[in-house]
Amino acid sequence: MAFEDLLEDPVIQKYLHELVGPKGMPVAAAPPDGEVTDEELAEELGLELNDVRRALFILYENDLASYRRLRDEDSGWLTYLWTFHYDNVPEQLEHEMHRLLEGLEERREYEFEHEFYLCENCGIRFEFGEAMDFGFECPECGSQLDAMENTMLLEAMEERIEQLRDELNVEPDSEVQA
Amino acid sequence: MSTSSAEDDLSEDQRRGLELIRETGGIHQSDFWKELDVSSRKGSRIVESLVEEDLIDREDTVYNGHNTYYLTPKARDLDFSLLMAGDMLSPFIGDEEVNPQSDAFTQWIMNLAYEE
Repeated sequence: MAFEDLLEDPVIQKYLHELVGPKGMPVAAAPPDGEVTDEELAEELGLELNDVRRALFILYENDLASYRRLRDEDSGWLTYLWTFHYDNVPEQLEHEMHRLLEGLEERREYEFEHEFYLCENCGIRFEFGEAMDFGFECPECGSQLDAMENTMLLEAMEERIEQLRDELNVEPDSEVQA
Repeated sequence: MSTSSAEDDLSEDQRRGLELIRETGGIHQSDFWKELDVSSRKGSRIVESLVEEDLIDREDTVYNGHNTYYLTPKARDLDFSLLMAGDMLSPFIGDEEVNPQSDAFTQWIMNLAYEE
């Protein structure tokens, strides 16, 4: 098996799991050295060929695997030879860290600029305008809506934004040039 | 791919160079040797060896009107656990669009605020 050191990282395991799902995980978790066919993988891992192919194509779409096709001269049958490219995993995750940072920055703006009201009964949150339209009564259960602090959320987002900027060397408010 | 052992064998200057690249997150080669206070020739030898050991990335670039390299740390040195909130991975993974108002992202932020 190749890329053992990468696969030891629990975040990377989670990432692969997120991409290929539980059925594809045996394929994603055991990348072989060199080329391999889908049939070989299915046999080796004791999986349905379709599940193996599905996992391989997801990895392909995420730049984590590539294939070349060989045609059998006699039968005309196509064989797919797969190579895993997990050396791309760190770059992909770096890209995901940038996307997360972007999402957090946008969401923080929204949380900062709006006031929220909560129905404690249903656990549903409303923006001020919505709450006013409902006369500060929950449209589901009729209980009174109460002003809700989102300081905890803002602080948590703020802290993670700082950590991500620091790790990715993104200057504050550089969204425009980035 | 054993990064740590490659790092163990570095000279003092190479180690300082690697540290500088990691701290800045990226630096032009023309600034790199000045910052390290070594000659440009020595600077480029240090860079050469760090690239060879696969410890940094090097890209051609134009900077202040002349050709140089831009030196960056390897992505694998990043702290990927910043994608996690509690045991939940960033919900944007596997999605084409980043939707900051999605329920999954709200859940992720809740985890961040209340579970960490």
